[in-house]
Amino acid sequence: MKELWNYRHLAFKLAMSEFRLRYKNSILGFFWSLLEPLLMLLVLYVVFTNLMRVNVKHYQLFLLMGIISWNMLSRGTSMSLNSILGKPSLVKKVYFPREVLVISSCATALLMTLLEFIVFGIFMLIFNVKPAITIMYFPLVLFIEFLLILGLAFGLAALNVYYRDIQYIWAVILQAGFFAAPIIYPMSIVPEKYVWIIMLNPMTRIIDMLRGSVIYSTSPLFWDGIFILAIALVVLSVGYLIFRRLEPGFAEEM
Amino acid sequence: MTGKDVIVVKDLWKSFRLPHEKKNTLFEHLTGSFYGKQKYEEFIALKNINFTVKKGEAVGIIGENGSGKSTLLKIIANILRPSRGSIKIYGKITPFLELGVGFQPDLTAKENIYIYGAIMGLSDKEIDNKFGEILEFSGLKQFQDAKLKNLSSGMQVRLAFATAVQTDPQILLMDEVLAVGDMGFQQKCLNVFQQYLKERKTIVFVSHDLNSVRRFCSKALLLRRGEQVAFGDTNEIIDKYVYGTGDKERHAGNLESEPKIEGQKGDVQRKKTRWGDKKVEIINVKFIDKFNKENTIFNSGDPMTVQINYNVNVPLDNLVIGIAIYSDSDVMCYGTNTDIQEFATNGAIGNNEIKLHIHNLIMTEGKFHLTVAAHSKEHTPYDWLDKQFTFNVIRNGNNAGLFEIPCGWKQ
Repeated sequence: MKELWNYRHLAFKLAMSEFRLRYKNSILGFFWSLLEPLLMLLVLYVVFTNLMRVNVKHYQLFLLMGIISWNMLSRGTSMSLNSILGKPSLVKKVYFPREVLVISSCATALLMTLLEFIVFGIFMLIFNVKPAITIMYFPLVLFIEFLLILGLAFGLAALNVYYRDIQYIWAVILQAGFFAAPIIYPMSIVPEKYVWIIMLNPMTRIIDMLRGSVIYSTSPLFWDGIFILAIALVVLSVGYLIFRRLEPGFAEEM
Repeated sequence: MTGKDVIVVKDLWKSFRLPHEKKNTLFEHLTGSFYGKQKYEEFIALKNINFTVKKGEAVGIIGENGSGKSTLLKIIANILRPSRGSIKIYGKITPFLELGVGFQPDLTAKENIYIYGAIMGLSDKEIDNKFGEILEFSGLKQFQDAKLKNLSSGMQVRLAFATAVQTDPQILLMDEVLAVGDMGFQQKCLNVFQQYLKERKTIVFVSHDLNSVRRFCSKALLLRRGEQVAFGDTNEIIDKYVYGTGDKERHAGNLESEPKIEGQKGDVQRKKTRWGDKKVEIINVKFIDKFNKENTIFNSGDPMTVQINYNVNVPLDNLVIGIAIYSDSDVMCYGTNTDIQEFATNGAIGNNEIKLHIHNLIMTEGKFHLTVAAHSKEHTPYDWLDKQFTFNVIRNGNNAGLFEIPCGWKQ
């Protein structure tokens, strides 16, 4: 752990360089990456307000918050999946704690998400929605989400070195997870008997709390907060244990 | 100060599993388990390695290809983990296994210096302080804002090396990285290396270049097929490597490459390689090293004995045995015979043996071919084997040219 701390600036360096590389050769830079969620927002908005008639206050913001926070998870985990496997020379030719690679991938995803949240802020201005004091819960919940992502990323990145189809399986799980969380729909339209399935998804509570604290000026419920924190810590411990267990064989397996 | 142990390797084993069929996906693992256990071969890369490196020592690891040198180096660098046994490192390790690891071709030289520096364990502040020095050393000042992909590969290596040497290592691991760059840059590298030696840094060095091991390392570790053959004083170890003393296996291996009397039948050029009227037949020619073992590899400066067995079919009183040494580029280097040296040969019927003792192989290095001939004083050939026997001389010094000429400076 202490060793990892010594390499913190390497994790930061790698995250920054990957972040910059992403937009290095394009004129519009990171706006391209914003285009995707915005387009998705537009389509979903049109479909759900005109065709399905979902009745949610500030539906545009509701939707955008859902998409951005879900994207953080899906981007963070997908990028981390290849964080070990995609850098054979770093793994086979030099030594530094391999955790650095996973952490830096997650950090890159976090950086990209933060940019999207800036855009979200602009949207709030446009729609004239003013956040209340409850917005102070926002960074806290986001941090818990980050811990959850980190836990998943450790486990997935390590397993992917040994079993290459983890990445495809995970893509399917992400797809399912997107619909099994109240991202495009509110919890109110879910039939009673299926609610427990949706609530099993830790992202349900996380997205709900993020929305509440920023858009609807509501404080998260204490036990909901404890619940997701507990889940995030369990996932992080399990993921990290898997990672530690598999880590000695990385250089041989690649 | 020497004396403190910095690398302690105890009973170290490393084995790799080589599956007959590589399974990389979960699906294959699941389906595979229905058909019973996965078959694999256990390949033992390192067997029972024991050695200790003290602070300030430079240790060379030598051995043939596949003897486990690089594996050992990677275990020391903590990239691979031992299967059994232990390795303890006291100090900060800087591995130079490959230069320019983690370079991003799309970023500028300057940005890459910072990233590579971070990978090698430097902090931003340290890089800030040494940035000018790095550019100076690599000679890439005017290219610092160019994208790395637009630099030549040689420039990239220079940049990597210049950054890497700033790490102020405590323990340096090197895997033949000195063999890059042009002459001027190589000289710079050697200077840095010598500086490290002077500063009494601990260095572990893997190389095929026995000469640089001899030059830089006070101790050497000889590996053969994963086994530790010897560890100790460099010169002794290199002798062991070159002459393979006390190892029968190696000789068994060498028999295949032993010169064949019949000559190369498949030679397309079809040069006539053996002629004579067979009044005398040369049966066998051997090279004997200073340990009285048959060998074909010799250190420059070492003695060599050529042992010639011949069979006399018709009694002769004018038998002359001679040899000639040719370089690989077919230049005749030396020739002598018993007549010139006024040595009386045994021309009686039957098997005879004659030896030529060369006190000192003065050629600096290279492959040499030996002609052995039996002929009369009037040069009528009885049996002439033209360039049929080959031996190699390994460099042992830094003087240039073909031959070592004994000399010394005075002022």
